[in-house]
Amino acid sequence: MSKVGQIFFRANSRHGLWTIPLLVAICCCAGLAAATADFVSRQNVLNLFAQAAPLILVSIGQMIVILVKGLDLSVGSVVSLTTGILSLNAPVYVTVPAAMLMAAVVGLLNGVAVTRFRVHPIIATLSIMGITQGAAMFVRPSAGGTVASEIVALVSGQLFGIYMPVIWTIVAILFGWKIVHASRFGLHLFAIGGGETAGTFGIAERRNVLAAYVLSSCFAAAAGIFLAGRIASGDPNIGTQYAVDSITAVALGGTQLAGGIGSLHGTLIGCGLLSLIANGMNLLNVSAFIQTVVKGAILLLVIALQPRKNIGL
Amino acid sequence: MKIEPLVQMTSISKSFGGVAALDDVDFQLLPGSVHALMGENGAGKSTLMKILAGVVQPDDGMIRKAGRTVRFASPREALDAGISTVFQEHSLLANLSIAENMCLGKEPLTVLGSVDVAVMEQNARNTLRGLGLNLDPATLVGNLSIAERQFVEIAHGISANADVIILDEPSAALNAADVEILNAQILSLKQQEKAVVYISHRMEEIFKICDTITVLKDGRNVDTVPVAAITPKRLIAMMVGRELAELFPPRPPRREGEVVLSIEGLRLTPDSAPCSIVLRRGEIVALAGLEGQGQRELVRSLVGRYAAHEGRVRIGSRELALPLPEDHGIRILQALGVSFVPEDRKLEGLFLELSLAHNLTIGLHSQHFELAPAGRHRDVIANSIKSLSIKAATPYTPVGTLSGGNQQKVLLGRYLALGADILLIEEPTRGVDVGAKAEIYKLLRAYANAGGSVVVLSRETLELIGLCDRLYVIHDKHVVAEMPAEQATEHAILEAALHR
Repeated sequence: MSKVGQIFFRANSRHGLWTIPLLVAICCCAGLAAATADFVSRQNVLNLFAQAAPLILVSIGQMIVILVKGLDLSVGSVVSLTTGILSLNAPVYVTVPAAMLMAAVVGLLNGVAVTRFRVHPIIATLSIMGITQGAAMFVRPSAGGTVASEIVALVSGQLFGIYMPVIWTIVAILFGWKIVHASRFGLHLFAIGGGETAGTFGIAERRNVLAAYVLSSCFAAAAGIFLAGRIASGDPNIGTQYAVDSITAVALGGTQLAGGIGSLHGTLIGCGLLSLIANGMNLLNVSAFIQTVVKGAILLLVIALQPRKNIGL
Repeated sequence: MKIEPLVQMTSISKSFGGVAALDDVDFQLLPGSVHALMGENGAGKSTLMKILAGVVQPDDGMIRKAGRTVRFASPREALDAGISTVFQEHSLLANLSIAENMCLGKEPLTVLGSVDVAVMEQNARNTLRGLGLNLDPATLVGNLSIAERQFVEIAHGISANADVIILDEPSAALNAADVEILNAQILSLKQQEKAVVYISHRMEEIFKICDTITVLKDGRNVDTVPVAAITPKRLIAMMVGRELAELFPPRPPRREGEVVLSIEGLRLTPDSAPCSIVLRRGEIVALAGLEGQGQRELVRSLVGRYAAHEGRVRIGSRELALPLPEDHGIRILQALGVSFVPEDRKLEGLFLELSLAHNLTIGLHSQHFELAPAGRHRDVIANSIKSLSIKAATPYTPVGTLSGGNQQKVLLGRYLALGADILLIEEPTRGVDVGAKAEIYKLLRAYANAGGSVVVLSRETLELIGLCDRLYVIHDKHVVAEMPAEQATEHAILEAALHR
């Protein structure tokens, strides 16, 4: 295979195959720009960003868990519960720490179930998702309440002429980059995902996996804070889509669900592509039912087409 | 002058669930020496080394390192005390680079707290150079060959600046040329006044590079002797507790049986020369040669695990055109009475979590229609265990818990139970102790004497010469020579392989 072919169609590093989704995303942009007049409008680009920002937050956490051969289905319910807690009648300096604490506890429960009790990640996070979703319903049975104005200000408006969603997205990306690609912890995540033998190198497997789940929940809570600010109220169902969407975005970005192979830039591309597809279908007036069908099909297709544990070779 | 021992292990005992793995074992290591630890599989070598490496804690006994009493609760502590281990299993992570694998757990950091890739790769490069290896430390381990991986594994063990290095079967996956490089590395460690513990089943190497030999049997010390004072024959006798009359069973007089399998015009790749191979009834035929010259591909192309460019195979009266379909090539061949015994019993051969009974009969089950009731095959299981003398507590023991020799016998037993006429075997005795080797050779010879035919591949040329009737020497993807085993020597094979 030619050099170009190798770069584009084979995963030559542990970053996974992210070049193809990038090409597809560029094609989508071009197609939508040609097909619809609104796509390149200022309002739509802002919308796209505001849609993608919470997905990016959740997906970074999801990717961290997937790197260590896990999966976190509870992220959506954490998003919902966070908006519920933020819409309680209490000052920001109470609600925000409370939400983060809640997320840390949820992550800890997931992590303990997986590492200590050896429950399969899907089952562990599915049960915890039930518990968290129940709590969200209890805190805010139906959409409503008001979120403190400080939080609304944090996500709408501008800072030095830059829109806040953009700023938060960049902050999250830098933070995620530091964790995944520029720290010992990140390298250890890849090591744990890469094989059974990481422990023999003196890596504390359990502790790192536990930390991955806690991080995932905290990223989900951050997404919840962002969403609560945008809608200025609480909603127990606002996070429902994020479990599937984040897994789809991560897989779309070339991260392998078997663990050990993936990248932050891949995940960003995956989030971008998924948001583009949703945005495009909205612009083209595709019905909500069809949109769900398309998303499900993408997840299946992407996982089916992923090269299995294929590093170079 | 008496040299102070670097490591002194005294009266070490350890049992697992009531079974004594080690009983009052003493072991001492001198600086600047290569110490072979010998014994059959299950003799306690690995347990003893795991105790020294901090993987397993002893029930009783004392370890002194450079005069101080130590106790290692984890591999990390042992490593910090200067004891590093290269384990038998491949422990490198395929998705990390060489440098990352070598520094994992103790990565150098930049001022910003991220992993310092430049320093890491420089360190790794220096270590690799010190061992005479010219590999790019940024290469992912998954892209290395098995021999290269093994070297990186050793480099990893040595890079820890340890003064005691434990090498557990480092040469099992290496060919002769690579073993030479490894031996040179071990000798250079010795010159640096380090102590090396060397576990291997290959006699030649032991006698070439080791100074002292300690033999264990059934978890007890048999003896510790200088290499100069012992012969290979005597050493084997110490290990098995009896004189092995001969490692290889006697060869019956040559007779020309009918041809049961013939390969004609086989070309592995479009640009390789065509070759032909013939296998007769009652014959063991070897494919010899340097490693990576296509022996493996040749055998695998017969069962569809490698797509040869072209060729024809005649088995009995059936003629097949190569390449065979990958997904059911093995089934086609099995229906014709040909069984393929793969090299890597852990990955390709056995179902490690399943019982030994299951592993023995799974071949029989696979012959039937999927919904047919599965027979228990109690008699098959009992017969196999008896005739192969497999040592296991019950037939329901998971096969992964058995020793290497017993695992290999189970694998072989599966295909013998199928009543195959022809066996294609890769590395019949990889990672197997001497006693089990002799038993496997005997089984194969008995099989051939009973009218079966065998094709064997092995990295150990002496094994091929001793076991087989006839050898084909493969070089550059085709047969370059054919010789009867009585006339074959290592020298002759090498000369034929290098044929210029």
